[in-house]
Amino acid sequence: MLELTGLTAGYHGGTVLHSLDLSVPAGTVHAVVGHNGAGKTTLVHTVAGLMRPSAGTVTLDGHEVTGRPAHRIARAGIGLVPQGRRVFAGLTVDEHLRLSYRPPHRGDTTRPSVWTPARVLELLPRLGERRGNRGTDLSGGEQQMLALARALLGSPRVLLLDEPTEGLAPVLVRQVNELVTTLAAEGIAVLLVSPSPAQAVESARALTVLTSGRMTLRMTGEEARADATSLHAALELTATAV
Amino acid sequence: MDLLDAHLIPAVDGVAFGLLLFVVAAGLSLAFGTAGVLNLSHGTLYAIGAYTGAELSDGTWGGLALGLAAGTAAACVAGAGLSAATAPLARRGHLAQALLTFGLALIGGDLLIQFFGADELPVRVPEALDSSVTLLGHRYPAYRLCFIVMAVLLAAFGTWVLTRTRMGAAVRAAADDPQMLAATGHSPRAVHTGVLAAAGALAGAAGVLGAPIIGPGPGTSETVLMLSLVVVVLGGLRSLWATFFAAVAVGEVQTLGVSVAPDLAPYLLFAAMAAVLVLRSRFAEPATAHGPEGPAPDPVARLRSHLAARLRRRPRGAAGSGAAAEAPGAVEAREASEGDRIVIAPRTGRSLLPAWTGRLPGGAAWRQAAPLLVLLVVLIALPALLDAYSISLAGSALALGLLAVSVTILTGYAGLPTLGQTAPFAVGAYATANLADAGWTVGPVQIVLSALAAAVFSAVVGPAVIRARGTTVLMITLAIGELTGAVVNQLKSVTGGADGLVGFPATRALWGGEGMLEESELYNYALVVAVVAVAVTLLVLRSPAGKLLTGTRGAEARMRASGHPVGRYLLVAHVCAGALAGVGGSLMVTVQQYLSPADVGFEIAAFALLAVVIGGTTSVIGALLGAGLIVATRDWVAGSWPGHGPLLLGVLFVATVYVLPRGLAGLRSGGSGGGSGPSRDASRAEDQPPPAPLSAPAGKVSP
Repeated sequence: MLELTGLTAGYHGGTVLHSLDLSVPAGTVHAVVGHNGAGKTTLVHTVAGLMRPSAGTVTLDGHEVTGRPAHRIARAGIGLVPQGRRVFAGLTVDEHLRLSYRPPHRGDTTRPSVWTPARVLELLPRLGERRGNRGTDLSGGEQQMLALARALLGSPRVLLLDEPTEGLAPVLVRQVNELVTTLAAEGIAVLLVSPSPAQAVESARALTVLTSGRMTLRMTGEEARADATSLHAALELTATAV
Repeated sequence: MDLLDAHLIPAVDGVAFGLLLFVVAAGLSLAFGTAGVLNLSHGTLYAIGAYTGAELSDGTWGGLALGLAAGTAAACVAGAGLSAATAPLARRGHLAQALLTFGLALIGGDLLIQFFGADELPVRVPEALDSSVTLLGHRYPAYRLCFIVMAVLLAAFGTWVLTRTRMGAAVRAAADDPQMLAATGHSPRAVHTGVLAAAGALAGAAGVLGAPIIGPGPGTSETVLMLSLVVVVLGGLRSLWATFFAAVAVGEVQTLGVSVAPDLAPYLLFAAMAAVLVLRSRFAEPATAHGPEGPAPDPVARLRSHLAARLRRRPRGAAGSGAAAEAPGAVEAREASEGDRIVIAPRTGRSLLPAWTGRLPGGAAWRQAAPLLVLLVVLIALPALLDAYSISLAGSALALGLLAVSVTILTGYAGLPTLGQTAPFAVGAYATANLADAGWTVGPVQIVLSALAAAVFSAVVGPAVIRARGTTVLMITLAIGELTGAVVNQLKSVTGGADGLVGFPATRALWGGEGMLEESELYNYALVVAVVAVAVTLLVLRSPAGKLLTGTRGAEARMRASGHPVGRYLLVAHVCAGALAGVGGSLMVTVQQYLSPADVGFEIAAFALLAVVIGGTTSVIGALLGAGLIVATRDWVAGSWPGHGPLLLGVLFVATVYVLPRGLAGLRSGGSGGGSGPSRDASRAEDQPPPAPLSAPAGKVSP
């Protein structure tokens, strides 16, 4: 369970994210939708510890992790699949897997599920065929799988997905969406950030629309699936407002 | 066969020397490539090992083992300390690191001399190895052969760790994307500390084992630093194998080269370095931000990608339309210029001549000029306040100040951080000395001719400098400075060689006057020349010409995309800065009345650059004050504590880095604004996380 309360963050004096409250229960997907510049990536980076929030808290299963360095947050169980994948250029797929594999401490039974390289390769078989290739030799879809594998190997409680389908072919988009559902079913809390409402509507239990760093709409997935008008209206509105 | 036979011993020596350099340079390369630390105190880490090893060596195996353990541990701890010291500078770029590590090197060097004495320490190798073996009919020291084996083992172990272990993968990942490394649960900070500690340990171990080859003495750190910088530059940061071959090549140049071609040897090293850098910056692939990779990438793949890059590049058009051919830069520029307005003066023709339009409103102009005016008043009053010795020091400081201002033009405005302005400085200095010797003693004539000579020199070497960016410029200009130094030492008929020049007629301030001999006379002459030179510089920098340079530094791609012939601007700036340095050199000769190679050596080049960093990179007055501060610390304050000039300077540098993050210029109104230049852009440009800084800037280079 990931909980954000009053989360505020920004760069060099300018606030980008304004007092956001949000919670993602284990085993569910929460989608955050917004246009470019709405503060989506800032949100993800702040939760992952790559940025320090100026106010508010990030709580993971009841333990506050606000303001901790990124590697501690990662060890606490927040996995990040960043925008643009950011795989390591000089490392092979195998080295990515070895480097990222961090089994939970003995006695830590609270993780939704434990991921080993073998299990990850079972889920993402394509990576198994490219084990000797360097990160930058992979196709966009393969890089996305590698970025996902990297996050999973920390056996995360929470998965942050920042525009995971950006630049992928439609067939791969569907595959990613299926994966998201599968991982949520494993008990992982997924925070999915996307500019397109379509992907969000498909798998999310709850939706948040972010406009200029502020929440402008929150609805459940069922509501959105039943009638997406208000969701689209919120996004249309933001388009003219921004 | 005879030839081969005669050079066998130097050739094997070259291998030993090269392997020693490889172990040291690998650490330097690792620290730079993966932790992003430009460590100018790396030679000191070697010296720590060498001194420790020499002190503990007693001709037994136990002594060697103890020395190895202690020297490695000491240098390892020093490396970790360095990591802690550089951590606060993470966002401040390489110049701040250079200032800090150079300061630490000065302090460390002084402390080592305090502790171990100023003489070279004798080194005793274990008795079993203190003999010679027969190698193809020649006697050869057994220790060196043993050293070759140990160095190979050390190198193999290091390579194995870096390329085959999880730790090595973490190091390479940290070089590539530290944030993502953190997101996988590894602390990039810990990796950086580990890398610097390991680099220190490598240098320390090399120092202990290599002490019989490059022994511990006062010059050790500088020799080792220079040679390993050359190795790193030649080898690039991409592969350990390239570093290895570069190290052996440098070793052979230093041994075999000296034995085969003694006359050429002084030039070979830096000529090779300059050639490699220039070629690399000319034919570099577009920046693909590859991290330093463990093993060399498949040579075929490399050749293929190189060819592909060459094919992608279309033939060069006219300067204006050439921008369209640089696909990556141009696209980036177009995207960028859509968003924000470019604050650059419109294209004002092709000349960089000052147009008198850069005036500021009255009040602001006064406020801006106030520090300069105060400085001027103080400088005019100095002769009445100081004794003769201090006045002559002040004269030298003015000369060095002009050198520093010329470095500011290049570093702060043109974005070409330089360690080579001592070259035009030397040209100006030797021109003036020779003119005086030939009877041309009128000051203005000397100044103008020296400036011309220096300008011609800068125009000749300029094309090699202006194509590169960032740290590559530092290295190219370092090579130019060192080559000039080698010429100065070799060309005895013109320069007097290592003895220098002395006894030439004194300069006359104007036609018909007497030769100036009094310190205050000389000082006043220097002051007038300096004021004129600085005034002209300021006017040019404030004019649209200065803005064009600022624009080039801050957003080169945008400038190109808007049709500016950036290369020409930089060349003109380089020539003008050279002329200014020439004026400084001329002044120095006039004030000092003698000239030695040390006056135009690496130390002066480093001081000029550091004066600029102390001053705040883009501030002319800051550079002048920085130069004054350095001369005062080295010669005046240290006068009351003889022999500790380097220590005091080191403390000055280290203190400046931490206390004045934006240099002396940052003191003024606490702001970076005003007309003092592109300091914000400057810091940002330096900030770019450097995955492979030596090779990355090459991508910005025009084809």
